[in-house]
Amino acid sequence: MSALIEMKVEEARPTGVRQGLTEEIETTDMALFVRTSDEAMNDWDRQRIVDALIRETYVDLDTAKEIAREVEDLIATSKIRMITAPLIRELVDTKLVERGLEQARKMHTRLGMPLYDVDQLILHPNKENANVPHGPEATNLTLAERIKKEYALLSVFSQEIADAHMRGDLHLHDLGFVDRPYCSGQSLEYIKRFGLSLPNSIAMAKPAKHPEVLLAHMVKFAAALQSHFAGAIGWDSVNLFFAPYLVGMSDRELEQLAQMMIFEFSQQAVARGGQAIFTDLNLYWEVPKHFEDVPAIGPKGEFTGKTYSEYMEESQRFAWALFNVYLEGDGSGRPFFFPKPLVHITEKFFQTPGHADFLDHICEVASEKGNTYFVFDRGETAKISECCRLSFKLEQTDLEDARQPWKMRYCALQNVTLNLPRIAYLSKGDDTQLFSKITEFVEMAVRAHLEKKLFIEKLLSLGEKGPLALLAMDRDGSPYLRMHRATFLIGMVGLNELVQIHTGQEMHQSRQAFKFGLKVIAHMKLLTEKFGQRYGMRFVLEQTPAESTAYRFAKLDLRYHSPKSGHIVKGDISRGEVYYTNSTYLNNSAVLNPIERVRQEGLFHPLIEGGALTHIWLGEARPSKSSLANFVIKTFRQSQNDQIAFSPEFTTCNLCNRTSRGLRTSCAYCGSKDVDGITRITGYFTKISSWNKGKIGELRNRYRNDAFLEQREEGIVLKAG
Amino acid sequence: MGSIKIFVKAKCPKCPAVKEIGMELKKEGIPVFHYDLDTIEGLAEASYYSVLSTPSIIIEDDEEREVISWRGVVPSLQEVKQVLFGANS
Amino acid sequence: MAEIKGFLETSFVDWPGKICSVLFLPHCNFRCPYCHNHPLVFSPEQYSSISLKDILNRIQPFKDWIDGVCLTGGEPTLHRDLPFLIEEIRRNGFMVKLDTNGSNPEMLEKLIEARLVDFVSMDVKAPLDPFSYRRSAGLPIDLNSILRSIDILKRGMVEYEFRMTVVPALHRKEDISTLANQLRSGRRLVLQNFNPENPLDPSFKEIPPYDPKVLKEMEREVQGMI
Ligand code: SF4
Ligand SMILES: [Zn+2]
Repeated sequence: MSALIEMKVEEARPTGVRQGLTEEIETTDMALFVRTSDEAMNDWDRQRIVDALIRETYVDLDTAKEIAREVEDLIATSKIRMITAPLIRELVDTKLVERGLEQARKMHTRLGMPLYDVDQLILHPNKENANVPHGPEATNLTLAERIKKEYALLSVFSQEIADAHMRGDLHLHDLGFVDRPYCSGQSLEYIKRFGLSLPNSIAMAKPAKHPEVLLAHMVKFAAALQSHFAGAIGWDSVNLFFAPYLVGMSDRELEQLAQMMIFEFSQQAVARGGQAIFTDLNLYWEVPKHFEDVPAIGPKGEFTGKTYSEYMEESQRFAWALFNVYLEGDGSGRPFFFPKPLVHITEKFFQTPGHADFLDHICEVASEKGNTYFVFDRGETAKISECCRLSFKLEQTDLEDARQPWKMRYCALQNVTLNLPRIAYLSKGDDTQLFSKITEFVEMAVRAHLEKKLFIEKLLSLGEKGPLALLAMDRDGSPYLRMHRATFLIGMVGLNELVQIHTGQEMHQSRQAFKFGLKVIAHMKLLTEKFGQRYGMRFVLEQTPAESTAYRFAKLDLRYHSPKSGHIVKGDISRGEVYYTNSTYLNNSAVLNPIERVRQEGLFHPLIEGGALTHIWLGEARPSKSSLANFVIKTFRQSQNDQIAFSPEFTTCNLCNRTSRGLRTSCAYCGSKDVDGITRITGYFTKISSWNKGKIGELRNRYRNDAFLEQREEGIVLKAG
Repeated sequence: MGSIKIFVKAKCPKCPAVKEIGMELKKEGIPVFHYDLDTIEGLAEASYYSVLSTPSIIIEDDEEREVISWRGVVPSLQEVKQVLFGANS
Repeated sequence: MAEIKGFLETSFVDWPGKICSVLFLPHCNFRCPYCHNHPLVFSPEQYSSISLKDILNRIQPFKDWIDGVCLTGGEPTLHRDLPFLIEEIRRNGFMVKLDTNGSNPEMLEKLIEARLVDFVSMDVKAPLDPFSYRRSAGLPIDLNSILRSIDILKRGMVEYEFRMTVVPALHRKEDISTLANQLRSGRRLVLQNFNPENPLDPSFKEIPPYDPKVLKEMEREVQGMI
């Protein structure tokens, strides 16, 4: 969220105390109307102030009466004829401040927004999250988020944590959704087995008989989940769990189903606040080891009598069909923005017949449209990916759950991101300082998690009558949200800049600098383990999908740590397009070939359990699919990298509706200037026109491995392939 | 010949055997570096070399390039010496 | 030794199925109006040369990833010492791919017979008649050399492909099928879309390329011809 708005919450807290004794004056018949928030005009009644103070704060009756009288007096002498409830409240608050009743004032605070801001909001698009289209629904969402964010900072988090957020030491993600967990991973088996029976809904749907109905249930359930989580909804082994429903279907029918699935999830504006459901489809070519012998659930929610290993063929055909649809793109040949397909590459993948053709197929999609995410599960680990780059390694208890896959529901309760460059400014080059400051910051993040957990537990304890009824519902002996399996994410922004400030070199500039970066993350990783043991909670490091955080931190540091920060932030200060390098990434503009990037960035990945990703920007180049497949295999075999995605760039024409490669200022076909650039922002494709300034700065700097760069001094020429 | 890097953890059943090898080689004047994965330095260095399991041994040449490694397994002292001093030692 | 004027460390584009480095050699005996490498080809003195040794040192650490080196230009076969350059690259354990316009069949044959190249990509400019070729190559071309190069490749001693850059102003659909008929090389003929950015003949900037879908369709068609 933009700092501009947040700063408004950070009110001055006057300390001057003035205790005045007020004489009692009788003005009961004041001719004054009060506009209230209930769309009513009430006559002036002093008693309402007293009532509110008694109900909402701890002040005693006498003080309340006294304040009410003072406020009445003030209004009377000002000769206003019409007054709004918010103004009365503010007047009362000033009286509380005068009396030094700071805590009471906080409790009596009114949350809301200035007229001007609402006006701006309704008229202009939201640039903080490119996933939100502009429209009345979106505005509703933003308004609600603003109030909940203020609420969170006043009432869910302690002042210390709230202040740390306001200062930009750390960033508490999705404060506007403070009353929900962050993101989640789902199993289709749950709705296959129990049907669709959502709390508070009138109609109950029995387990699906047909694949289209199962898909409808999946979409409905996803929409319901979206209104209970702030972020992504991931689905595990989608093609495999659909397979028992697909027996006997023709290729055409399968492709239609695939099309329906992708269309349903790619529709904007049908869901919460007009936001697309941030959906991840996890796909496997093989039958994952942990599901091989698991009894399959088929139509009507009944066990089919077979195990999942017997459905490999249907599962593979469905996966193939999905990628046919991705390859086509939408009506004008643009890539689908959602749902994101994540293909898991494992040892078993390479032992499964047909893997080479499938790899070529998904690499063709990667080359043509960029959709494919390649997730590498090396050795014995199995993973579920959820959010942009958030994945969970399945542990022993999970593998036991795998026997009953409907139990495999996961969630991350919150995401807190640390401003690493800030730590470096504060430590002034001193190692000991730096590492103890990191500890301090991680400790703050842990505190924030404890506070959020307490709050969510409070909401959940209200059970199926409470606000999180869906997550409290119990169909299989445990609530839908399994708190004991929840994860608490600690992300980071600007490791590269921390290293740069502290050592004078960016991470790609020397081995020493790079190793220092590893030390910082190793330290953080050990800290999460330590705190995990202390509190019996799972804290894990994550590569924050820092869409707006990287921008916000850079802006705040320009304010608080100038002039030093002026040399450090990336992007273009004069345009206001500033950012820090995301998470543990190497400088976006560094001239590194994709091998180096995948290898070097991948060295961090084993430390970042919450999931990590390396982007390979393709720019205009249209690579050979088999060359990409070659690269994917080598990445699996020869690096520690967790996940890669190839990102092409497109220009789509609003006049002739055609899409061409590369970012252009005019249409390659008809020359029209009415074009939109499309490429991947942090974790998904969007129109560039919707990006915030920090991200645009980063886009300008992305090194694409295809530029015709002339560096005459060094004599190196790089050419478009 | 360059140096030997040994990666261990406190609670690791096979680690003492590798530490033993390290001691032997040190006696023969070879630079041996120990890294404990429960410490910051150790974990960072292990990450740099993609060491994911303990115990591990990495032999490097003078330019810090990896010559050979044993990851998650314990070689015999003989094997290690073979690499260090060549076949006819 | 032949001077190297450009170096791209990794490419997924230039060698189907392989990850390769690309070396650019200057000079060319053609003047294709759509050539988009022309500064490097025709005024190479603007660029300083890169030593092969530096290049090999640079890519050595990626040996497990980079399969080979693609030599392109310009026209690499104009450099008489090309075989030595290739030998040096091979000595370092990389495979070699050659891009050529087919104007030097002697060199091509020599390289293939000495097993110095693993893959040859020959650019074919137009249907194989003097008039069409001249229009696309920008100069009168000795068509016999081109035909001989095609024959040498079709002997099948080395993996190869014919690559045609399709420019709407120069090539009609019929021209492509004519060429395909003359080559009779099935799936080894691949079509490449013309890139209007910075062509040798500035008037070509204004030519919109074929819609990629249309081009794909054409490719499928000509590849299906026997
Ligand atoms: S053959 Fe034509 S396109 Fe190729 S380098 Fe020579 S002039 Fe340029
Ligand atoms: Zn157009």
